[in-house]
Amino acid sequence: MKNLFLVFTISAISLTILSFTIKNNSKALSSNTDVTVYEVPADVQEIIDNSCYGCHNTDSKSTKSKMKLNFDDMSNLKQGKLVGKLHRIYNAVNDVDMPPKKFIDKYPDKELSASDTETLKSWANNLMNKNGGL
Amino acid sequence: MKKKFLYIVFVVFILIQLIPGGLPKVSFDNPDDLIINNKDIPEDVVTILRNSCYDCHSNESHYPWYANISPSSLLIARDINEGRAKLNFSNWENLSKIEKAGALNDISDAITVDEMPMAIYTLIHRNAALNNDEKEVIISWANEFSERLFE
Repeated sequence: MKNLFLVFTISAISLTILSFTIKNNSKALSSNTDVTVYEVPADVQEIIDNSCYGCHNTDSKSTKSKMKLNFDDMSNLKQGKLVGKLHRIYNAVNDVDMPPKKFIDKYPDKELSASDTETLKSWANNLMNKNGGL
Repeated sequence: MKKKFLYIVFVVFILIQLIPGGLPKVSFDNPDDLIINNKDIPEDVVTILRNSCYDCHSNESHYPWYANISPSSLLIARDINEGRAKLNFSNWENLSKIEKAGALNDISDAITVDEMPMAIYTLIHRNAALNNDEKEVIISWANEFSERLFE
């Protein structure tokens, strides 16, 4: 009887440890937080350089602009933050909130064309999906 | 002359009461609410969300007495409609993972650059204003919560 109890206890402990190990392994496999995908094709880079980068870069004079979005820092972001920023970019161009109207009044050639907007949106969408946003 | 002016002000005040205000509906029964569905959100975060955000960013708005009087009712209706349209914590569980990450990034950014809570709101609701510690609590919670969505 005592032996049976011992066997039972040992198997219970081993099973617990085993299941814990398996759980941790599967977590490690599905967790991609440190591996982010941030690729910028030439056509997208050209649009960003023309219409966005002037304010959204590390040396920008506008503290607020670079705090919210800094293209120089995108590849350093974790997955959640990166997807969040891409979603903001998507909405900002989709709602025509960006570039700001005042800025466009001053520099009309910086305005996003309809095709620029589409290019940025599908780029952001694609990257959000690649970073586990599905 | 002065009497006539006061009379006109009074008539205008009465007339604007006739403008339909359209205050957004209030509901305290929201099964898809952020706080209800995420019991692991720390208590200090919950307190700040309820104190400083939920009046405009949820269906649980607490209207002050002047919400029923024009012109303040019109301003309140506009701000709450706009706030709920951008982010409504009562509908949190209906958002996709991407939308949640977007919202959490927006929360963190809006607080970092002092856009939220709005100055006109904290002017009257003094206890809704966030000090630096409270800002940090919300910002780091939003960032961690977002990363956990991707684990």
